[in-house]
Amino acid sequence: MRRDDPFSRKPMSLGAVRDGAIRACRNAIEMMTSHALTLALQRLAHGAMVAAALLVILLPVVLIVWLSFFTNEVLALPPEGYSLRWYQALAGQPQFLAGFRLSAIVAVAATMISLLVTIPAALVMARMEGRGREILTNILMSPLIVPAIVVGSGLYIAFVEFEIATDIQLNGATLGLIAGHALITLPWSLRLLLANLGGLNPALNEAALSLGATPLVAALKVTLPVIWPGLVAAALFCFVVSFSNVELSLFLVAPGQTTLPIALLQYLQWKIDPLIAAVSTLQILIVAGALLVTNRFVSLAKVV
Amino acid sequence: MPLLVPATLIVLVFLAAPLLILLRYSFNRFVPGQFMVEAFTLENYAKFFTDPYYFAVLRTTLLMSVGVTLACIVLAFPLAQVIARASPRSKPMLIILVIVPLFIGNAVRAAGWMVAFGQKGLVNTALAGLGIQPVTLMYTPAAVFFGIISVNLPYVVLTLQSVLEGIDAHLGEASQSLGAGRFETWRLVTLPLAMPGLIAAAVLSFILTMNAYATPLLLGGPQFQMMAPVVATTILSQNNWPFGASIAFILMVVTLCLTAAMNLIVARRYGR
Repeated sequence: MRRDDPFSRKPMSLGAVRDGAIRACRNAIEMMTSHALTLALQRLAHGAMVAAALLVILLPVVLIVWLSFFTNEVLALPPEGYSLRWYQALAGQPQFLAGFRLSAIVAVAATMISLLVTIPAALVMARMEGRGREILTNILMSPLIVPAIVVGSGLYIAFVEFEIATDIQLNGATLGLIAGHALITLPWSLRLLLANLGGLNPALNEAALSLGATPLVAALKVTLPVIWPGLVAAALFCFVVSFSNVELSLFLVAPGQTTLPIALLQYLQWKIDPLIAAVSTLQILIVAGALLVTNRFVSLAKVV
Repeated sequence: MPLLVPATLIVLVFLAAPLLILLRYSFNRFVPGQFMVEAFTLENYAKFFTDPYYFAVLRTTLLMSVGVTLACIVLAFPLAQVIARASPRSKPMLIILVIVPLFIGNAVRAAGWMVAFGQKGLVNTALAGLGIQPVTLMYTPAAVFFGIISVNLPYVVLTLQSVLEGIDAHLGEASQSLGAGRFETWRLVTLPLAMPGLIAAAVLSFILTMNAYATPLLLGGPQFQMMAPVVATTILSQNNWPFGASIAFILMVVTLCLTAAMNLIVARRYGR
């Protein structure tokens, strides 16, 4: 028989019972408070992690916008005062104005080419199924999978060889930039168009045709309204991807022929000041504006 | 299918063909003063793995990729959970807050960190307020580490979020009603169900770090070298195409193999 068998114990004194009860109560209270404490601590730690993640994502954006309004020319916190003088000073900075112009031209042209080639492709692919569609998707999405720096290296070398063979210069030319950017915006355009084509019923088009519409009228009056939101989203997204690109443009620019992000990168390698912060803020405004408009047409949560 | 031709042609002409040229040139020989000599040699690849300088670049890049990825997963999970459970009103707002920084460009975000890490930047001003000596943060591996985490975090959060969103909330409630604590529920129910998303997010973060260009360049300074900036310098500044091409190919093969391995593991273990 084990020593602590309850039935073999001697009866407890009243005092021992009372002490035992008090101890049990105290333990219970301690356990409950420590449980509540653990829960509160867990919640606090969770909240702190969420805040930290948001901080790491948003802090650089907030800081660069803040810096653009400083009065002092050299980065030093706290600022001496606030002014808009760096935004006025931008007008006297030809390399940024030219960069902005080139970036805008390249982004618009690349977007148009991307849309032009992916709209027909997406219309066909939306009706495809199985292995064929999978292979085609892999091919057309590959510019997104191959590292941009590798795409840039390859294009640069290919363009030099092309120039040697034909005397047509592509590196450092707007045309070369447009070609490269069309390549890297193409997967985004296709992805956005396809994501929005699920609702396109081919019977609609056939119905329009059988009711006497010409193929052009059917395309404009039936197909276009259905794919319109995806189309606008794709266009804006391509613009953003092209406008903010660094890794590919890096290989395709030349002195005096530089996109805005590359001009930014080159200046930042030298120094950081409120002027470059003002340029950065402009880029932030353009990209954020385009994305917010995109979000009105296609939920961004579904496409990225 | 003539409608598919233009898009496919763009990919073949501006991606496939240049990559083939790059591959061929990676077997050529670089003779200083003579540019490039036709050859068929593996010496460029051998040089990368045997030269201590380039081996150190590879090691730095891999270490950075592992560190950044771990930090990103730990930081992103709670935020992804909050977004996944957010009300239909606040969810789009939160997602936009995460997506906009993603597309404003790496150079601009690195510039933001320069404001934080500068000699008289945010961190040192805060430290001075606490009476602590200023520290050098710019052009250190730590600056690059934080900078790349900031670049990758939106991708990781969005990837995790989309998987967590799909998990039935009743499973967690069932687990808790059966007596599991919050942490046990997370460890035994949420985490295993989120595993495919976790693997995808980790691989994505790893690949992004391997290929990071602007962040190491701007925050790491000239002494700190990672793979992507070395590719660009070798091809553009040193004009050593064969060697640059071979580094680019190593970078691409590692990236593609990781992507393929991830797809395979997720498909095998978690069925589609």
